[in-house]
Amino acid sequence: MRLEHHYYELNSMHTGGRHGRFHIALRPDCEVYRGHFPGNPVCPGVCHIQTVKELTERLTGCRLRIRSIRLCRLKAVATPSACPELCVDISLSDTDGGLLVEARMADAERTYMDFKGEMTKEDTRTE
Amino acid sequence: MTREDILTLIPQRDPILMVDELLEAAPDGGTATLTVRPGNYFLGEDGRMEETGLLEHIAQSASAVAGHHALAAGATAPPVGYIGEIKKFHCHRLPQTGEELRTTVRLGPEAEGVTLLAAETRADGELVADTQMKIYIPRG
Repeated sequence: MRLEHHYYELNSMHTGGRHGRFHIALRPDCEVYRGHFPGNPVCPGVCHIQTVKELTERLTGCRLRIRSIRLCRLKAVATPSACPELCVDISLSDTDGGLLVEARMADAERTYMDFKGEMTKEDTRTE
Repeated sequence: MTREDILTLIPQRDPILMVDELLEAAPDGGTATLTVRPGNYFLGEDGRMEETGLLEHIAQSASAVAGHHALAAGATAPPVGYIGEIKKFHCHRLPQTGEELRTTVRLGPEAEGVTLLAAETRADGELVADTQMKIYIPRG
């Protein structure tokens, strides 16, 4: 799955070292809203997590896997009409064998998601 | 229960329908399955399902149990629920296309529409993912 150009467009990014700030626009025409939910488009929380993963891959330049989520709070129901543009802040630090990713997705009105989890670089060896 | 039945238990539809069947439902939990098929919305480039697909499958498994109980209590449509919180999620490996996921959900107490749950997802008996989650089902 690739959510960029489907679920969201990246309007701008500012990255420095281990921090990134990304401004994204949610696409109301994304196919996911056909099923979530019919006649009632609501952003799936898991798509916000996937968006954080993709933006963290952009920040690090590596394909990543989510090894664990310590805590992810979806604090407000998001829809592409209620919050068409979102700011995603991502901070990285090292953790045991991986990367601790802390992210917040918000607009001027409210915070939609706070995420704290571990990601690791994709193991591309064939199993 | 058949795939047709799942459409009566949860409000999600293609392309994000992530449960095939609810195998069993009890007051304190249940078990649901999903076979990872080609074309699944959450498949990565390498044909394995992304972690977020596991999370959505777990949430919909819990939603199917809640839907079963809501319909038994007289509801005419499946309740719409949202993931409120994910805690202590571990992904042990990514599922491959063709594998059947079997998820067991244990429901905790419900307060003001929020239900705490714990879930384990296995494929062929092997633990694939486990998590705690809070699901919010607004009262209609």
